[in-house]
Amino acid sequence: MVGEILMTQDIHVDDFLTIFISSTLVLIFGGFYVGIYTAVKVNLLKKWTMPFGYIFWVLTAYCLYLMGSLMHVNDFTAKALVVAAIGLLLLPHAVYYMQDRVHEENEH
Amino acid sequence: MANSHLKYESKKLATWYFTFAAIIFGAQLLFGLVAAIQYVMPSFMFEVVDFSVARMIHINALVVWMVFAMFGSVYWLLPDETGIETVGVGIGKLLFWAFAAAIVVVVLVYLFIQVGPADETTIWFIHEGREYIEAPRWADFAIVVVALGFVANLYMTGIKGNRSGIVTVLMADMIAFSGLYLTGMFYTDNISMDQFWWWWVIHLWVEATWEVFVGALAAYGLITMIGAHRKVVEMWLWIEVAMLFGSGILGMGHHYFWIGTPEYWWEIGALFSALEPLPLVAMFIHVLYDWGKMQGQEDAKGLEQSVITNKPAFTWFILNAFGNFLGAGIWGFFHTLPQVNLYTHGTQFTSAHGHLAFFGAYATILIGMMYLGVQGKNGIKIMRHTKSSIWATSMIFGGVLGMTMALTIAGYADFIISRAQWGATWEGYFAGQSGVWYLQGMNWRLIMGVVTFIGFLFLVKDLLSTGRAAHHER
Amino acid sequence: MAKKSVWSDNRFWQRSAGWVTGVASVLLMWLTFDTIPQITLGTDADLENGVTKRVPGPTVINYKITYEMDKKRHHEVPVIGGANAEGKSSFQEKEKFFGRDDWSEEEARALLRLGKLGSQAKNCMNCHTLLGNGAYYAPDLTKAWLDPAWGPNGPMQAMTGKNTKEEAMAEFLQFPSQYPTHARMMPNLGITAEEAKGLVAFLKHMSSIDTNGFPRNFGKIEGAVHGK
Repeated sequence: MVGEILMTQDIHVDDFLTIFISSTLVLIFGGFYVGIYTAVKVNLLKKWTMPFGYIFWVLTAYCLYLMGSLMHVNDFTAKALVVAAIGLLLLPHAVYYMQDRVHEENEH
Repeated sequence: MANSHLKYESKKLATWYFTFAAIIFGAQLLFGLVAAIQYVMPSFMFEVVDFSVARMIHINALVVWMVFAMFGSVYWLLPDETGIETVGVGIGKLLFWAFAAAIVVVVLVYLFIQVGPADETTIWFIHEGREYIEAPRWADFAIVVVALGFVANLYMTGIKGNRSGIVTVLMADMIAFSGLYLTGMFYTDNISMDQFWWWWVIHLWVEATWEVFVGALAAYGLITMIGAHRKVVEMWLWIEVAMLFGSGILGMGHHYFWIGTPEYWWEIGALFSALEPLPLVAMFIHVLYDWGKMQGQEDAKGLEQSVITNKPAFTWFILNAFGNFLGAGIWGFFHTLPQVNLYTHGTQFTSAHGHLAFFGAYATILIGMMYLGVQGKNGIKIMRHTKSSIWATSMIFGGVLGMTMALTIAGYADFIISRAQWGATWEGYFAGQSGVWYLQGMNWRLIMGVVTFIGFLFLVKDLLSTGRAAHHER
Repeated sequence: MAKKSVWSDNRFWQRSAGWVTGVASVLLMWLTFDTIPQITLGTDADLENGVTKRVPGPTVINYKITYEMDKKRHHEVPVIGGANAEGKSSFQEKEKFFGRDDWSEEEARALLRLGKLGSQAKNCMNCHTLLGNGAYYAPDLTKAWLDPAWGPNGPMQAMTGKNTKEEAMAEFLQFPSQYPTHARMMPNLGITAEEAKGLVAFLKHMSSIDTNGFPRNFGKIEGAVHGK
């Protein structure tokens, strides 16, 4: 990774706004995904809303892709972004799994 | 004050810390307003209290009030967690006065002496001229002594009493927090080296040790305010520690993009910065999850009442989880990758992020701790909102959010002209400062700053008077 | 009671937190050991022998400094003493600094020290940014030395009525409110003639630091818009 090119070219001035908006949406959509998942699991939302959670994750991933490509990220950063996207996908599952285990152990 | 319900001296000491913190918080906002006025009206107090002086006090007061409130929070929760009086609380009181006196002297020197000659005496006795840690060298040593005393008290109490998970985390965290201060206590001619170690203090404080501290406070808050299960909460705390330190320590890389350090920091910074929002998301869901779970159990019993024993404090804790995600997460993430940071670094974007992150991640939860202090001191079982507490919460939160929005818009106008189009020169800088959107942004920042300050006045009024209100359950 | 799972075991998570923190800290320290030598101040011998340092020695003030696009790294780097055939620093071309281009290592070091101390004593960082860090009330000073405005045909040099960049900068630093460039002015900070000299040396030295291309397109007006 040392000696590799990171700044391949200037970012086009008109692209900056798209970059900021998409990177903001990354976390907002990501938040919706996590929020819907959690809400369904604690029975605040009906089960059928779950697919919408995953749709938000897909949107998150798309925004990450958009942001990364407009920024002209190099391979390494692109991989880092993929890791972050997958991390976000797994996060609420892991959280719920562990919460559930602990609650079960403590309440029965 | 006379008929205090506090059984522990440690908690009394905590209330002193909270009181002094609130006073310094006021000073922070006041000098922030001076600086905000100067953006709109540059002649305001020119060569009397210049921007550099106002801003130095603004950000130093910020750090100091938070450190005071953090020390106070530890003294507050120690008896609850360990079940014993804090060991060495007498020394703690002595150190409180030493600390407070040192801070007052430092601020008066900032305000009335302002600058010194270009030699070491200035660094020793006036200020060090390094953002956030400007305190002169003599005060550095005073701070080290105070911090050592504080950490010693924490350790002795943790070892003697019941050492809960929260106390263990705090013990590990506070020693790192204090130790890191040492890396900012030297002088070098080499500005790259200077900033390299300077970030060890600033970054490893606000993006690592302070965040973990907040995690510990949130855990304590969930147990005391909604009766969450200690085991669940403490397990979460450990996971958060792993996530926060796992991403935060190497997230340092995003400060090493442009200060002369090698290029490999780009990759390290990009990778760990991209991971940094994840623990913040996790903390947010954890708080909501536990709240939902506890309320659900209460509802299942058919009792139509809230599980929250301190409404204003809990509101601030929720705002903390939300604000941390918003300020540190979203506002941090969108300019953290080196490709974009190359253009946005050191513009009003940074300022927008700084305002919302410090407020969302730290100010909120520490204000919440102050409310816990008021509750305990007045022997209130269930504390409810008052009109003032609602005004305070909404005006402060709305004000800071408004300032952040205004600074973000100003920042966009600023960087696109001065950086992307003009290449960061002197002329480019002032071209950026003259854009219509920029100027409007700065006006709105000032207006929102005033809103925040009025909110602060409500907060002070409420903290002083809510203890006597009749509608709390005692 | 349900069967104990490792995932809900506090001790497991406590140990994990310890390990993660430990590994991250060790990595940070290891990287620090790698970075520190790379950002250590160079020496006069380095400059004489044509050794490129990320942070050159203080005698870099004797040389001409420019900021050029490095074709391999794809960003701009400081070029010291003119470029060679490959576009790298050749350390040949000197440039007079306050009338001399033979500042000795001790003299240059003392000047840089005065300037760095001055930058702290005068609280530069609470209005300006240095290497991009500081406040945003005044222009970034990272490459201020290379700002065309201070150059031979630049408005700043003309305004102060001086004939060289360094004299113009020193004059401005001593009497900033006499030379307003905007409604927002620099206040008088009691900077002496000697301190001003030190500060200019500090600025010139800072411009020679390899900042991985920050700021981008410095001094190339409208570079990013039409550059690519």
